[in-house]
Amino acid sequence: MPATASGGARPEEAAAAVIAPSASASAASCMGTRPEELTARLAAAPGAGCGGGGSGAGAAGVVAEHERVRALREIKNQIIGNRTKKLLYLRLGAVPAVVAALAEPGASPAALVQAAAAAGSFACGVDDGARAVLAAGAVGHLTRLLAHPDEKVVDASARALRMIYQSKLAPKFDVNNGKNMDFVLSLLNSENENVTELAATIISHSCENSAEQLSLFNAGVPQKLVSLFGGSMNLRDACLDSVTAVIRNNREVASRFASTDHGKGFRSVVALIHDRNPRTRLLACLCLIALGHASPCHFQDKQIKTKLIMVLLELIEEPGHVGDEAPLALTTLIKDSLELQKQALTTNAVEKLSNHLLANSLETRRAVTILLALSELCSKLEESRSQLMSVEVSTLILEALKHDWADIRVAACSCLKNISRSPKVLSGGRLSCDTVIGSLVQLLYDSSTSVQAAALGAICNIAINLTPKKSFLLHSGVVSQLVHLSKSMDPTLRLKSVWALRNIMFLLSSKDKDFIVKELTLSTLSSLICDPEHFVQEQSLALVHNLLDGYADSANYVIGEDGMVIDAITRQLNNASAPGVCIQGMFVLANIAAGNELNKEAVMNVLLPHRADRIKPSFIVNFLQSKDKQLRVATLWCLLNLIYPKCEASSGRVVRLQNAGVIQQVKSMINDPCLDCKLRVRMVLEHCVDNADDGFM
Amino acid sequence: MFLSRIVLRDLDSIDSPASMASSKKVVTRDEWERKLRDVKIRKEDMNRLVMNYLVTEGFVDAADKFRIESGTQPEIDLATITDRMEVKRAVQSGNVQEAIEKINDLNPTILDTNPQLYFHLQQQKLIELIRAGKISEALEFAQEELAPRGEENQTFLEEIEKTVALLVFEDVKNCPYGELLDVSQRLKTASEVNAAILTSQSHEKDPKLPSLLKMLLWTQDQLDEKAAYPRMNDFTTAELQDPSI
Repeated sequence: MPATASGGARPEEAAAAVIAPSASASAASCMGTRPEELTARLAAAPGAGCGGGGSGAGAAGVVAEHERVRALREIKNQIIGNRTKKLLYLRLGAVPAVVAALAEPGASPAALVQAAAAAGSFACGVDDGARAVLAAGAVGHLTRLLAHPDEKVVDASARALRMIYQSKLAPKFDVNNGKNMDFVLSLLNSENENVTELAATIISHSCENSAEQLSLFNAGVPQKLVSLFGGSMNLRDACLDSVTAVIRNNREVASRFASTDHGKGFRSVVALIHDRNPRTRLLACLCLIALGHASPCHFQDKQIKTKLIMVLLELIEEPGHVGDEAPLALTTLIKDSLELQKQALTTNAVEKLSNHLLANSLETRRAVTILLALSELCSKLEESRSQLMSVEVSTLILEALKHDWADIRVAACSCLKNISRSPKVLSGGRLSCDTVIGSLVQLLYDSSTSVQAAALGAICNIAINLTPKKSFLLHSGVVSQLVHLSKSMDPTLRLKSVWALRNIMFLLSSKDKDFIVKELTLSTLSSLICDPEHFVQEQSLALVHNLLDGYADSANYVIGEDGMVIDAITRQLNNASAPGVCIQGMFVLANIAAGNELNKEAVMNVLLPHRADRIKPSFIVNFLQSKDKQLRVATLWCLLNLIYPKCEASSGRVVRLQNAGVIQQVKSMINDPCLDCKLRVRMVLEHCVDNADDGFM
Repeated sequence: MFLSRIVLRDLDSIDSPASMASSKKVVTRDEWERKLRDVKIRKEDMNRLVMNYLVTEGFVDAADKFRIESGTQPEIDLATITDRMEVKRAVQSGNVQEAIEKINDLNPTILDTNPQLYFHLQQQKLIELIRAGKISEALEFAQEELAPRGEENQTFLEEIEKTVALLVFEDVKNCPYGELLDVSQRLKTASEVNAAILTSQSHEKDPKLPSLLKMLLWTQDQLDEKAAYPRMNDFTTAELQDPSI
């Protein structure tokens, strides 16, 4: 019967669908395919086993079972691949009835197979479906059915369980529990490949923490998985994926795996990076990459690393999922590694990736992953950056900034951020031109925060190296938007926008510095210095540091106007904040102290407040005792600027510092291990003596 | 093919600046055939190639006969080939619903994990309804089944538009997207189905024979730059054509 348009449930039909056994024979031939009918029939279908004695009821029982199989099969065929239908049947409450069929004591193998397939399908790709299937208790029933005598039932149950365990709502499977581990091991030893694949899936799912990974290793699971590499292609891929999950981020397990059996497992994985099947090659690469990250000492072999890069570059040409994910694997491989990025450069990675990007549409996942890989390739190497700035590629990247997909915009910004680490590229002019800056500033208004954050990153770097052209940047309206973003709820946006302002402030003219301070306002600046995130505090202080640098009058912003800013700084320095914050704070004080008497006194009031309680030593003493040499140096500079040049006021300050035990502390640092500190200590003590001499005279 | 590679290798080793600039080395038919005779290929390998072709393409009866006559073991269970061929046949005859049900009986995870294939099957179903002139059914189907696919996945929208456009034209066969009604479209879908089933059974979806022929073509192209030799231009006859001098 042709499918009719569904127009909502019709209660009278649903009720009529509850059939008495004797009428089922005629009803069977007009069974509808409407979801409401099917669901109702399934829910109402009498159990195969019930019906009592007598041939009439027995035959009816068989027919009823047949009905049930048909209903299940019809539902299954409607929902497989069809998200809309899955949701519809979910709403009609079909899942409990389907799962109940699995629990039916006298159910026929045919019914079990259809019910299992339907249950698995509900759990595939639809979160609510997975939830419903789990709530109905499918896992227990399906697990029990793995021991069913009928091989088809076993196959169907294994496949369904696999779907369930692959969903993100999959239930926890605790491998630390002995019985569970035995169960997994028994599945791994099965002759049925559907069952062993299921085992691999459960294992991949159960590697949430290092204790679980260790349990699996101790039970011999990775070795068993390696022994299954000889099986069919799909099984091998599933096992490779599981091995990766077991060793991921676990140094102990990874190194033990690499050395077990004289490295047999390791060699088996290496061999697979040359397998015929592209998916296997990718999975083998991912496994080795995970091994390399978890246990670098087992991954010293340069040859393998080079091979990995080459295999991944080839895989980019493969159609489908493999080609899409290969660049991401490459990114993971070379991340933060100068050595590997150099290696990649020698294999022409930039060129190959660029060519692929130019030859295909930007509107693909592959374009995103390739752009991210190119970005990583440029993160440390100057030569990669130059290569990437070829005319065609840079034009493409600039185009990508305006693309519809947020992911593409983010990836393009990431590329620009890393390319603009190169002063040479920036001075070449292509990146510092109006169109680029204009496009990036536009992205600061983007609807996606990840795009905004990525654009901020690029602007940060471009701003540093743009010294001659900064006024253009300033007139582009970027400052007001940066100020706006510095007040965002999102800490990442706050951090990056303040960072950008800091970089823009660097070496700026006084007039332009004034402009920025006016836009930002001192009260916003004070709030930022006291931001909940210490990274933001640090950048805010660095911003002030750059403000003061080379612009003596700007100290008025800090200490003048009811001292909002200096108060904020004082608060942070007294609060035992993060070292980075203290360092920047001391640089700010040092720069202020380099100014006139008023400035120096203001700094003294911060270090040694008049109303200070004598019990608690000044934070200065703590800073001088810090393990962080940068903090010691910054503090010493501040002290130096306070007592130089020699004059009556300076002598007064020396005395005050002496009384607070600061000079004593400095004296104890005469043999400071850091050369820079040692030098400043000497200078401070010399100036103390100088001032004292003068005083005596 | 092996022979042309041997000649390539020989040429590389005797290359000298003088001979580079001059005309290509000429290999006479006699020389060529002599060298050919020296190349050894095992019969078992040939048989396996043939079996691989028959199995991948789905020629069950032929594969079975070949198994009996040559003793070559098929790489997969011939019973699974029969199932796969029934699905392919269903698609090729335009019985898409039957094909879907058979695929789901074979392995219910295939269509759930291959959204593109599922979409193409539904698209084929719509095409068949249009071909049969069942316009109102087609409209309903497009609305109920194809539109949701477009909502679930934007990349299908363009294809849906093309297919639905067929409904607008009186003379469907000659309209802009008329090729969708061609038998070739069925074959395309059938081939996609075949590949998906093979992959789910851990079998490679492409037979090895075409790859070998591609390699032969490529090797001859490479050799053309360095030598004049009896070339195989027609693979169906494997006839060698004398080198032009």
